[in-house]
Amino acid sequence: MMQAVRGFMERAELLQVFQRTATEVAEKDFPNVAETTSISELGIDSLGMLEIIGSLERELKIQIPDESLAGILTVKDLLNAVESRQPSSAA
Amino acid sequence: MKDPKYVAPTLPAAIRQLAQLPDAGSRGFVFVRPDGTERFCAFSELCDQAERRAADLHARGLKKGDRLAIVVPDPDEFVLSFLGAVMGGIVPVPIYPQLSFKNVESYHDTVTHIANASGAAMVLTTTATKPYIEPVLPRASSLSQLVTVDELGAEDHGKIDVAIDPEDLAFLQFTSGSTSRPKGVQVTHRNLAWNSESFMIHGLEKDSSFDKGVSWLPLFHDMGLIGFVIGPLFTNIPVVFMPTASFVRNPRIWLDKIHQHRGTITYAPNFAYALVTKRVKEKDLGDLDLSCLRRAGCGAEPIQAKTLHEFAEKLRPAKFDARAFLPSYGMAEATLAITFVPAFSGVRSDTVDKAALEKAVATPVPAGEGATTLVNCGHAFPEHEIAVVDETGKRLADRQVGQIVTRGPSISRGYYQEPELTAESFKPLRHEAHEARESDGETWLYTGDLGYTITNEADGARSREVFICGRLKDMIIVRGRNFYPSDLEWVVSEMPGVRRGNVVAFSVDVDGEEQLVITAEGMSTEAEALKTAVAQRIVADFALTPHEVVIVPQGTLPRTSSGKPQRRKTRQMYLDDTLARARTVQGASGEPEDAASSA
Repeated sequence: MMQAVRGFMERAELLQVFQRTATEVAEKDFPNVAETTSISELGIDSLGMLEIIGSLERELKIQIPDESLAGILTVKDLLNAVESRQPSSAA
Repeated sequence: MKDPKYVAPTLPAAIRQLAQLPDAGSRGFVFVRPDGTERFCAFSELCDQAERRAADLHARGLKKGDRLAIVVPDPDEFVLSFLGAVMGGIVPVPIYPQLSFKNVESYHDTVTHIANASGAAMVLTTTATKPYIEPVLPRASSLSQLVTVDELGAEDHGKIDVAIDPEDLAFLQFTSGSTSRPKGVQVTHRNLAWNSESFMIHGLEKDSSFDKGVSWLPLFHDMGLIGFVIGPLFTNIPVVFMPTASFVRNPRIWLDKIHQHRGTITYAPNFAYALVTKRVKEKDLGDLDLSCLRRAGCGAEPIQAKTLHEFAEKLRPAKFDARAFLPSYGMAEATLAITFVPAFSGVRSDTVDKAALEKAVATPVPAGEGATTLVNCGHAFPEHEIAVVDETGKRLADRQVGQIVTRGPSISRGYYQEPELTAESFKPLRHEAHEARESDGETWLYTGDLGYTITNEADGARSREVFICGRLKDMIIVRGRNFYPSDLEWVVSEMPGVRRGNVVAFSVDVDGEEQLVITAEGMSTEAEALKTAVAQRIVADFALTPHEVVIVPQGTLPRTSSGKPQRRKTRQMYLDDTLARARTVQGASGEPEDAASSA
């Protein structure tokens, strides 16, 4: 496992956080989200995704730089971006 | 053509004047970065940097009049590069950066189209954005160089002085309008000077001793670029800029920056006010103090009185004064602003009979069943004029709905190298055509917007105030009744299960009769139920039966660069049967997208 995630948050937990945040922002349930799900399949437009990312950033106290957003097309891409921003020293 | 009264005749002259002021080293632009840190750029430094970039561009072989495509997402680098080009007489062509979460192919097509249409010789970008631009180079025949902003100014080429005439082209504004192919609106220095004087001095009644702008609007779009960069430079107003993405991620940051910098002027489309109302929690308002804000402009999309009232209600504890709301009307072809309401008059609206409006007459009625409310967008600026005309080009009286036309020194000379499209929209009023002479400024811009006027004779002054109903080309006429897609779309947008702004209404020909089609983005699991609910709602509210309601997966309606669904393109996709229809099936997977992303 990557150094960055150690002691912070497991991948499955991260997916749950994403699911909960997306539900809050989009005001609907996302019961079948998997890592392979594409963003467009979730039915969230780019404005909505930015809102969700903002929410994740506040909750996880991280910052995802704008330039790494353009390559995000799936939930997996998004979780990778979140994970790479997790502080490695966090307890 | 005469020069404006209160501002410099060209943008470079305005910037140099500003840099000569005694306090030019302490006033200027603040750029808030995504990480929250701020970069201050004094007006003197801004002038200096722009002049250096101008010299660098000339050293790279660009000459006065050459076009330079600019794809730079960082607001500070964008502004300095844009102004650098303008200082050197080079014509910048701003292009929006690749939108997130989307496949890149359609972006490449747009950039290629704009590069070819403008004949840009060079594209300026950033290291991070470069990979999204490079594939375009072989497809755009005129593009011979790609330069990144860090390369620009790496070598000192001193400064150059290029003579700029007010009639020179200042930049090309490619419209993000709802047409499928962007057109380059030619904006001259005279257009910029006149429009800046109009909206900053006559519209906002700016006061350089205390006014300060705060904006997160994208800079590749006229409202952000002219409204907050160019207008303020002509009239000596400091501005705080933040990235658009920062606002969308956390709408609260807009309010925080107004509070922190004691901002007095801001501006946003309707949706942004709605986003704040939705996202900002009352308990979090804390000691937020917005009493400094005296101009809260609203424009660029249909204005809903309800949205603004809800915003004012929510922000009342933060001392937001609802009189600061400044509804306005404008478009790129008129440089930016066409009408503004008088300062501090707030949201004033007109409630009219829906049935009469369908017959192109705005009859005032009390609010309630069968009534619709339109927001007053104000009056034209001095030396400019608006009128409403019928299909034959004849002027209409107050409260008669027709196409809005406008003329004056802010109006563009037309679309770049598109004589036919220009002749369609920039022409004399038909019944005045026989006596019209080009040199008299008798050319009117046919806005393509439908609306009506009300003549206001308050305070001894006569002004014609405008109300916008919708786009002429998008109007849906079913059995002699006129429907504005925005009205239909708004009602559907408010329904549960539909995200605001993700609805498109248009008409199609069915056996020789015009019929309504509604497309809305929704979850596939709810598609069937939503279809029925939408149809019922349209029948209930408009006494109109849709020919078809199509639910498409979210994020699949075609959009403009500013995020508005494209009606005509959606209609075309419907006719071509290329709309992605949501079916009531669970667990359909998007493998192709996944494969593309792992490359």
